[in-house]
Amino acid sequence: MKLKLALAILLSTTTLVASAGPIEDQIKTRQSAYSFMGWNSAKIKAQVADKPETYNKEQVITAANVIAAIANSGLGSLYGPGTDQGIGWKKTALKPEFFEKQDEAKKLATDFNREANEFAKVAATGSVTEIKDKFGKLSESCKSCHQSFRIREQH
Amino acid sequence: MPTIKIKVWDLPLRAFHWLLVFTVLAAYITAELGGNLTDWHGRIGALALGLLVFRVTWGFVGSTHARFVSFFPTPRKLLTYLKGHWTANGHNPLGALSVLALLGVLTALIGTGLFANDDIGFQGPLFNLASKSLSDRLTAWHEFSFNVLLILIGLHLAAIAFYFFLKKTNLVKPMITGSKEVPKGLASQTTGGGKARFVIATTIAAIVVWLIFGGIVAEQLSPAHNIPANAAIPSW
Ligand code: HEC
Ligand code: HEM
Ligand code: HEM
Repeated sequence: MKLKLALAILLSTTTLVASAGPIEDQIKTRQSAYSFMGWNSAKIKAQVADKPETYNKEQVITAANVIAAIANSGLGSLYGPGTDQGIGWKKTALKPEFFEKQDEAKKLATDFNREANEFAKVAATGSVTEIKDKFGKLSESCKSCHQSFRIREQH
Repeated sequence: MPTIKIKVWDLPLRAFHWLLVFTVLAAYITAELGGNLTDWHGRIGALALGLLVFRVTWGFVGSTHARFVSFFPTPRKLLTYLKGHWTANGHNPLGALSVLALLGVLTALIGTGLFANDDIGFQGPLFNLASKSLSDRLTAWHEFSFNVLLILIGLHLAAIAFYFFLKKTNLVKPMITGSKEVPKGLASQTTGGGKARFVIATTIAAIVVWLIFGGIVAEQLSPAHNIPANAAIPSW
């Protein structure tokens, strides 16, 4: 009886640890990184495309550098096995196919990293039109990955 | 059997149809390719909204076969059609079901698009009326309703092919020229939908588009709740 109780407690704590543990943390960090990147890309979009009259060079450079820094931070390590299931800030939107299509995932992530770094250079030196064009390329690289690996939840 | 040429589809209806085909195609391409084309997705979306509002208005003030009351598929009409006794002109009752389904799904597609966002910096003009999570859900519905629309378009084209190859009836030509040949006994008049009414319907459509896309209904804090509309970001 005592043994059974001890086992039950042990089992329930291990499952607790698993669900509140590394997987959830990875998803949380991943979602935070992307949300923050989205905040920065939206600022750039607003200033160079929607309302060019509000263009502020310093702010666009800062936002571009944030995106490049996040891209270069090694986001790939937040895609550990099992992170297609679980709840971070909310239920993860990662498609399970991600783990079967590692080559594609790597290519999309590498393309995105390249675009993010090139964009930061153009943001620092280019004209608003050049920045806008290059931002189009960067956002294409975001979108390609979302189309392949991200679920749009209907609830 | 002697035939006679009658008018079925008025010019505004035909213009609506072919512009709609172009619009759906262009909206699909611009959404799929992304990048800076997303801005065009928004502009084409405005055109789509205008076309839809025009068509609904025209369903009340347009000429005979454009009116909803004239082709609304009541169970009685459907039964007559399925028994093979249908002889009237205009959309047949089964076709009318598909027309209403197409227009209904288009309404859902365009309506959800107005609130949608792409998480990168592009969003519909009413995005700021919804919370981000509601907008995310509506974006999923936007994509879902597009998939439903694709199925309906498939059925639409299949039905047209079925009429052409098996019933030897060309439905496409009347949708281009506006008129078709019918046996003399089945001739009917198409009336209504004059110039003045066309101007009214177009004006209504333009006003709705202007209210929504012109930032009148919802201030377009560009682009999100948490992004300052001007460049006033504190230096820290
Ligand atoms: C390598 C693939 C990939 C690339 C590249 C990518 N994303 Fe994502 N993005 C994802 C995945 C996967 C999720 C879902 C994360 C989750 O829920 O676990 C996501 C989620 C998001 C979210 C929602 C975050 C949340 O939880 O609310 C935003 C915003 C976002 N991405 C913006 C961007 C932007 C902006 C870019 C480009 C600058 C970008 N993403 C590039 C894969 C990618
Ligand atoms: C003819 C009507 C329309 C069609 C056929 C259409 C089609 C599409 C499709 C297929 C997508 C998904 C792209 C993808 O999965 O990558 C999409 C996304 C989107 N559409 Fe539309 N759309 C229409 C109207 C509108 C309207 C009126 C708006 C409002 C301005 C709008 C705003 C959006 C937004 C913000 C997205 C981005 C979602 C994302 O990238 O995940 N759409 N549209
Ligand atoms: C984007 C794809 C399309 C959409 C969304 C669409 C939508 C519609 C709608 C809403 C109607 C009803 C007209 C009305 O009363 O308002 C209609 C009718 C019609 N469409 Fe299309 N259509 C599409 C593509 C096509 C194509 C490619 C063809 C030709 C090959 C075509 C041929 C016709 C014909 C012939 C009719 C009249 C049907 C009848 O006789 O009752 N459509 N379509």
